[in-house]
Amino acid sequence: MRLSRRGLLRAGLAGTAATALGGLTSGCAVPTGSTGRNMVLWYWSGGLSDTVVKEAKARYDNVVSLKAQQIGGYYRSKLITTMAGRAHIPDIAGLKGEDMASYLPNAGQFVDLRTLGADKLKSQYLDWKWQQAVAPDGSLIGFPIDVGPVVHYYQQAVFEKAGLPYEPDDVSKELDTWEKFFAAGEQLKRRIPGTYILTDVGSVFEMSIGQGTTRFVDRDRHFIGDGEHVRACWDRAVEAKRRGIVSDIVTGTPDSISATEKGQLPSQLNASWAAGDLKLQYPKTEGKWRVANCPGGPSNVGGSFLSITKACREPERAFEIITWMLNADNQAQGFVEAGLFPSTPASYEMKKLREPDPFFGDQITMDVFGPAAEKIPVAFNSPYDIALGQPIRDEIKNVGVLGKDPEKAWSDAMSKCRRIAEHLGVSY
Amino acid sequence: MTTLPAVEKPPTVLQDTPAARPKTGFRRYWHLYAAISPFYLLFLAFGLIPVGFSLYLSFHRWDGLGSMEWAGLAQYQYLLTDSDFWQSIGNTIIIWALATFPMIFLAMVTAVMLNSAVRFKNVYRFAYFLPNVTSIVAIAIIFGSVFSTNFGLMNALLQAVGLDQVAWLNTPWGIKVAIATLMTWQWTGYNAIIFLAGLQTIPSDLYEAARIDGAGPVQTFFRITLPLMRPVLLFVLVVSTVTGLQSFAEPQVLLQTTANESTFSGGPDHAGRTMVLYFFQQTFDNNDFGYGAAVAWGIFLVVVLFSIINWRLVQRRGEA
Repeated sequence: MRLSRRGLLRAGLAGTAATALGGLTSGCAVPTGSTGRNMVLWYWSGGLSDTVVKEAKARYDNVVSLKAQQIGGYYRSKLITTMAGRAHIPDIAGLKGEDMASYLPNAGQFVDLRTLGADKLKSQYLDWKWQQAVAPDGSLIGFPIDVGPVVHYYQQAVFEKAGLPYEPDDVSKELDTWEKFFAAGEQLKRRIPGTYILTDVGSVFEMSIGQGTTRFVDRDRHFIGDGEHVRACWDRAVEAKRRGIVSDIVTGTPDSISATEKGQLPSQLNASWAAGDLKLQYPKTEGKWRVANCPGGPSNVGGSFLSITKACREPERAFEIITWMLNADNQAQGFVEAGLFPSTPASYEMKKLREPDPFFGDQITMDVFGPAAEKIPVAFNSPYDIALGQPIRDEIKNVGVLGKDPEKAWSDAMSKCRRIAEHLGVSY
Repeated sequence: MTTLPAVEKPPTVLQDTPAARPKTGFRRYWHLYAAISPFYLLFLAFGLIPVGFSLYLSFHRWDGLGSMEWAGLAQYQYLLTDSDFWQSIGNTIIIWALATFPMIFLAMVTAVMLNSAVRFKNVYRFAYFLPNVTSIVAIAIIFGSVFSTNFGLMNALLQAVGLDQVAWLNTPWGIKVAIATLMTWQWTGYNAIIFLAGLQTIPSDLYEAARIDGAGPVQTFFRITLPLMRPVLLFVLVVSTVTGLQSFAEPQVLLQTTANESTFSGGPDHAGRTMVLYFFQQTFDNNDFGYGAAVAWGIFLVVVLFSIINWRLVQRRGEA
């Protein structure tokens, strides 16, 4: 066949038209949810145990073909874009804990798990975690995956050298309040100059907020970030700065990595999942770390849920799958494999979670994590919490890092909050 | 879809009788338009429609999932009084200026050197172009190390010449300088290649004439090279304005600290929060999609303003 210019043009035209037509017709018939036998599950890398996902696929293979897809990048924005586009919505969708507050007002987009019999399973899960997935209208939109109890990670040898309590039980007992923790920080700095118990003031503020039952905005859409409970956390962070127990190192930089390895930043207040980060970032420090209770009481950072979207054609089947994937046995597997701390207290007693951990000097870390997870306070998380907490977080950072006058910083934070509250329609 | 049946009979166009000749432009050339249609169909789907939708969105309140609520001009009213937005414009312009002027100077020097290089010309060109095609995230991570306080290369250099350490990523100016340095490093080579192309269009007899008249190399550069390079210089300025005003990944990756913290806050005192970073924070941290859209249009206006300034500069030159 000879290629003429005309023929080429014609072929190109037909091709373009066919593509356009194809796009249009398939555009008209885009399914809202999954198709055929498929049951699509969206989660993110490390969000579920790979073994459990694989087993669930095999286990339910005779009824559905479970398509578990790891969604990379900014998970939440991809999920809501898909839901807003009303096309190819997954049947089962993972929801990250920090995003829960923004999903709850749109509970109508998810199946109310109570209608599928979730209440019967409620007693097996941590109550405060369960409450996080309850929407204002009382419906339950998420089923608990993991939680993130905050603990105190510290390097035993450094604490011992500074004359501080160094056995996990003693640290938990003797550094149980912020005041005692700060005093320990002063002693640490005095005995080993150049050593700081806190990397930055942000963690003090953040963990203190998490230890309370009220945050920045209440159920009536009223700004309460100017209240005593926030001010107390603020003052505590300012005090840490004033007492000189905070380093001027930026977390995550080579500076902080080297200082941590050298034992100059021997202490971290962080969630259970940070144990994985410690192991990954500081392999050389294996055996040096221990885990104790966080001063001031337990709190939670992170942890996530599985939800069933309204686009799911077989909610009963989906519910069967997620409740199986998230039962106590499989949650234990999730912890061993992916550091997902179980939301099922029954798992805490299981043998595979009570193995001594060589990274923590053969400590049985569950003895600290487990009780902490069970005592986390229930707090209402408003969808406006992030926007109205941010100015306060930003200003405490300015106090910590730039040495801004705390009173000026507080009043700047409050005036910014007032402006944002007005803009978002939150009463002040 | 309406164009489809016509596909079978393009010959009619070719069999036109003289009487049918005076056809309007589109009817006569539709198949040419159709041939280039992939571009504008894609532009329609992924350019024009989203742009239109963002304009529509900016008149609403929307959390990205629920129902939209009409807000009129409220988002824009707030935008005008939002000191954070104005600060982000200031940050962007300062970072842009800190990055662009040294970059243009270095690129020009590099180009002149490349132009006079005798051996390994292509190796140098390739090496200088490389930063521009390197992943910005990788660059930002490396620069995070370079600018870290105790073990960073930058402070090691400062100390080597007897100066004090600077907490680059912990002070407002340090942050801006760090971001600007990153951008300078990334774009110098690219612009040097463009300058090089400009240099090679200057006829060598001009240089010869100058030499005969007794001009030194400095005089030659300022009297011949620079004036003739002006259009290229303006092109580089326009391109770096448009890219510089949209800087986002640089501060975002350079200043992200821990997983618990917003990655869009731009460091202490928001020193590194550029306009686009602020847009991201409003949209994806606060789920305020309506306001995010308004911020995006605010950014658009700033970019338009700068483009007009640039355009005027080019125009004035044309008149002169």
